[in-house]
Amino acid sequence: MKSEDNFFSVPEFYGDEAKVTARVIYFISVALIASTISFVLILPMLAPELTSRVMVLMLVSIPTNLVIMWLVRSKKLRIAGVLLTFLIWLVVTVESILSGGVSAPILMGYMFIIIIGGVLAKRNRGTVYLTLVCIGSGFLLAFAETNGMLPEAESFSPYMRITVYAFFFLIAMLLQNITAGNLKNLLVTARNSEKKYKSLLENIPITTYINTTDSNAYTEYVSPQVEKLLGYSRDNFLKDPEFWKKIIHLEDRDRVLEENEHTTQTEEPFEAEYRLITKDKNVIWVRDEATLVYDEYGKPLHWLGVWTDITSRKMAEEEQADLISIMTKRTIQLQTGADVSRAASSILDLDQLLPLVVELIHNHFDYYYVGLFLTDDTRKWAILRAASGEMGREMIALNHRLEVGDSSMIGWCISHGQARIALDVGEDAVRFRNPLLPLTRSEMALPLISRGEVIGAMTIQSELAAAFSRVDITALQTMADQISNAIKNARLFTERANLIKELEGRNAELEQFTYTVSHDLKAPLVTIRGFLGYLREDAGSENMERFDKDLKRIENAASKMQTLLSDLLELSRVGYVINTTEDIPFEQIVHEALELVIGPSDEARVKVDIHKGLPIIHGDHPRLVEVMQNLISNAIKFMGGQPMPHIGIGQREYDNEGRPVLFVSDNGIGIEPQYHERIFGLFNRLDPSVNGTGIGLTLVRRIIEVHGGRIWVESEPGKGATFLFTLPLAKPE
Amino acid sequence: MVGEPILVMLVEDNVDHAELVIRTMEEHRIANKVRHFLDGQSALDYLFHRSEYTDHTSNPRPHVILLDLRLPRVDGIDVLKAIKEDNDLKAIPVVVLTTSEAEKDVARAYYNHANSYLVKPVGFEEFKKLMDDLGFYWLGWNTNPGIKD
Repeated sequence: MKSEDNFFSVPEFYGDEAKVTARVIYFISVALIASTISFVLILPMLAPELTSRVMVLMLVSIPTNLVIMWLVRSKKLRIAGVLLTFLIWLVVTVESILSGGVSAPILMGYMFIIIIGGVLAKRNRGTVYLTLVCIGSGFLLAFAETNGMLPEAESFSPYMRITVYAFFFLIAMLLQNITAGNLKNLLVTARNSEKKYKSLLENIPITTYINTTDSNAYTEYVSPQVEKLLGYSRDNFLKDPEFWKKIIHLEDRDRVLEENEHTTQTEEPFEAEYRLITKDKNVIWVRDEATLVYDEYGKPLHWLGVWTDITSRKMAEEEQADLISIMTKRTIQLQTGADVSRAASSILDLDQLLPLVVELIHNHFDYYYVGLFLTDDTRKWAILRAASGEMGREMIALNHRLEVGDSSMIGWCISHGQARIALDVGEDAVRFRNPLLPLTRSEMALPLISRGEVIGAMTIQSELAAAFSRVDITALQTMADQISNAIKNARLFTERANLIKELEGRNAELEQFTYTVSHDLKAPLVTIRGFLGYLREDAGSENMERFDKDLKRIENAASKMQTLLSDLLELSRVGYVINTTEDIPFEQIVHEALELVIGPSDEARVKVDIHKGLPIIHGDHPRLVEVMQNLISNAIKFMGGQPMPHIGIGQREYDNEGRPVLFVSDNGIGIEPQYHERIFGLFNRLDPSVNGTGIGLTLVRRIIEVHGGRIWVESEPGKGATFLFTLPLAKPE
Repeated sequence: MVGEPILVMLVEDNVDHAELVIRTMEEHRIANKVRHFLDGQSALDYLFHRSEYTDHTSNPRPHVILLDLRLPRVDGIDVLKAIKEDNDLKAIPVVVLTTSEAEKDVARAYYNHANSYLVKPVGFEEFKKLMDDLGFYWLGWNTNPGIKD
């Protein structure tokens, strides 16, 4: 029957050991069945008295064996094995008992059990136990026999005996064949496998190794590819089991050994990428992966590892990282360039633009310090206008400045109009060592040039040596140019705004001027034309007295017009015709003016006090004399009823811009506060009865303003008046 | 009041111009009296009966005021304002008589409730004509607010 064929063939097992075990059990079962059947057939001829016994045996053993075989098929080898062993022991023991004891040849069956047990049992202990059991049962049997507990020992005929023995011999031989054959097969397969694996391992382009499991990780085995990998032969590694550690790159060594330590404890797979130094002193990158191999008892046996050469991959990675870093840098540069450009084109206020731009560059490029200097009017000094960070703020607060020239990078840069780079500041001679910036290792100074003119420079400093690449320099110079333009634009814009303001001021002045002039010239005209008519009437009515009076009025009006016109001309000329300016001692001007103004009568009456230590000023000599003339003359005119007229002329300290504040004071009638501004207005006269055209103070103010100064009055009615004004000092040598 | 001479207050700092006005007004058919003040301060003192003008009888309220704009110390416009802001004085017609024809002066004057704005003409005939017309209009035709002082 087909199924029986299948039933009787050994099923497939995984693992040779199991296979052998299965085969053995199977075979024995089959043998037992076969032998039992053959006994049943043969024995009636040889020993008919045993037939019944054998029948019983058959009845017991056949089903049991079938069960055993079924168990094997179900892969329940252990139960099968145990059952089989037990069956055999039972049969042997019972037979021995029935045969009268230890002399029964069936007792040989115990040996059988031991042999089978040896094959089936995983450990030697099983065999020991079995042996002991057999010996024990044997002795029990002997004891029983001795004490007559057992039936009469049967005498077996010699043929009977030998048949039984032969049976056992055959079984033994077959068993031996199976196991030995299997063993041989196993060995061959194993050896072949080993050969296969070895050739595989030793030919694939990776290096394998075996290390001990302790933390020393001694090399037990290394495949021959190691020679190709490192130039060292396998002997190096095997002679010195710690050799592999010695060729690890210094920078990676600690890391690798630490990982090794870690995995030794945790028994996790080992994984690391590190550098090794080859025999030729080259550096290669390897990927090291190792797993722990356990023996059949679950104890760690050794580390089985693989070294793969990943040098090319690592190099590619590095290259890629470099590329990415360069690209990132470029992107940042472009970004910063765009930001600076945007700021430069939209912000016109330098106080806002310069700090912003400096911070942009500082942050985006992550430099140590960025500072921006602009030259002052003399072009001799570069003044720090914007700087990054805390030290920047400090330096600006200290009004930090550098001289244009060769004493500093900035100075050199401005005087030569060229960029200057110090890649290692220790070595550059032209360098100003700034105590507030101690960490600078490299520095760059870029000139700010607008329309061919150097207006300042930017300093960029880094804590790293050689921090500026060619690309950096180009990008930064572009930014510097944009900033220069922005500065120029901002200045032009401010200039323009100032000019417009000035223009508007002038326009307003002109308007006022025209208005005033037309009005005040018209008045005498009205008089003249008006009284001309009356002159005729007077002549007609022969009223000579009136005629004279009216004629006088006309004459006065005419001459008034004349004076007015010449004064106006004078006033307008003050703005345009500029005489050469010179340094004059103020005292001299005062004396000249006094000479012109004070007549003999005044001299007797009015006391003039000129203070000592008057400065030397710089200005238009004749005009300044005019100023003093007017002021002194006014002072005298407005003495009122003062019995002791006194005029003081002197200096009252300096103003915020270093100009001297000079004064002319009198003890006359004084001026009410509401008129302190009006008196400088054109033709505004507080007291028409006092002689004068009303143009004097306007002229005075105009002259002072042309000199860049200011004039104002301090006065109260009845308490005299002090006119104060500022003039420029003569420039020091 | 019919028959009574019209009192004209002239506030003018230019003595020649004042003379021109006074002479013309003297020769006018309509009877009038001109009181001349050289500056704004004294004019206001008169109107408000201050300093030497405290006596109402000898310093009666004028029927019309001729006011020049360019005055020393207190400006013409300020005088105008002072008059037009005072409840008692605001009814008195104020005629601005000035050399300036500048728009801003005209605007300011009217804005501050000037009753009329006259520009002094250059020329004898014209000046006389203006004064005549001024007299006829303000002293003759115009009905004065008969407000007692």
